Amino acid sequence: MNQAQKPRGTSSPIDIEDALARIGGDSDFLRELLELYVEDFSFRYALLDKAVRSGDLKAVSELGHTIKGSSANLSLSSLQEQALKLEKAGKNGDLGKARTSLAALGTEFRKLKVYMATRAD
Amino acid sequence: MKILVAEDDRVSLRILEKNLGDWGYDIVVAGNGDQALRKIGDGNVRLAILDWMMPGMNGLEICKHIRQNNGSNYIYIILLTSRDRSQDILEGLEAGADDYMTKPVNFLELRARLKTGRRIVELEDKLLESNRKLTDLASRDGLTSLWNRANIMRFLEENLERCKREKQPVSTIMVDIDDFKRTNDTCGHLAGDIVLIQIAKQMERCLRKYDKIGRYGGDEMLVVLPGCGLKEAGGIAERLRLAVAGEKVRIPAGELETSVTLGCSSSADLSRPTPEALVQASDAALYRGKKQGKNCVVAE
Repeated sequence: MNQAQKPRGTSSPIDIEDALARIGGDSDFLRELLELYVEDFSFRYALLDKAVRSGDLKAVSELGHTIKGSSANLSLSSLQEQALKLEKAGKNGDLGKARTSLAALGTEFRKLKVYMATRAD
Repeated sequence: MKILVAEDDRVSLRILEKNLGDWGYDIVVAGNGDQALRKIGDGNVRLAILDWMMPGMNGLEICKHIRQNNGSNYIYIILLTSRDRSQDILEGLEAGADDYMTKPVNFLELRARLKTGRRIVELEDKLLESNRKLTDLASRDGLTSLWNRANIMRFLEENLERCKREKQPVSTIMVDIDDFKRTNDTCGHLAGDIVLIQIAKQMERCLRKYDKIGRYGGDEMLVVLPGCGLKEAGGIAERLRLAVAGEKVRIPAGELETSVTLGCSSSADLSRPTPEALVQASDAALYRGKKQGKNCVVAE
């Protein structure tokens, strides 16, 4: 990881240092976890999309909660933030907010995938 | 030490799994609440990390379930909650959790907290062990280490009831050391004690594992044989007699030949087979044996 190139204050999807510190400094293990995350995310995102379409606010809130936790584990703060918004929107019964947060969550996820593709060894 | 991790998020689970493995724990993984309960049911789990939010039964419910149903070993439970749900902590602790942590988990902290958990679990084990030893001590005769009178009589009572339900007989053998008073008088009480200890050991070795022998009085011992009729009891008594007669007892002054007389009785031959009646019948048989010239078995 080239620290000099780390964007400051802009939207790197992951705080690498923070994530590595949490899992014990093993970058191969971090990659394994990120791959696991991507797999699970894709599945959950599809469920979320379905829940938002059908207005199942309870499911929106629960899925938002799960994604939030998973993201926090890997220091994916912008994903975590959008997931939290979804969880809250679900709880507050705000379907409009859920829709916009879902879209934002999708955008953040694409950023992560781009990031991972460019960092692939 | 075996630890259960119940977590539905694979990323969290994988991190937990790796860390716990590195720390030397033996990990059992559950992806949802129902799995967690099943795996706890298998036993041996002493620590548990439960995620609060899970599909099916959640961490809180598992916690309550463990506390209500786990009779054997204590399980130390750490609940994981989201930071913004910290108001749940109280509810979690009330449900029986020992500790809680907010997610994402700080692993240095988790490691330290697990050490606390281990300490408590190990402390509980030690307590149970010393309790068991104390109970055992309180049930034993101080000199011979055979069961004491209260304990052997309780065993007899319990087995009379159980065998009555199962329509099985229970037999007892009253054993008395021949000429024990003379040993005490001529060789001293220390030699008498050695004889008692030695004979107790010899007889204990000859019994089946579901039989029990206790010290009934001075040099009298009571053997309880569950599921045994009079004829079979007579056979066992003869085995005991031969074991004692066949081995000399070494005392400071040299070697002593010893023998025992044994009186058998069976619940099947009594109209009201109470523990006392059975002991009395064995005692009467023993008395007849003494009259017949000692070192013999009376079972009729």
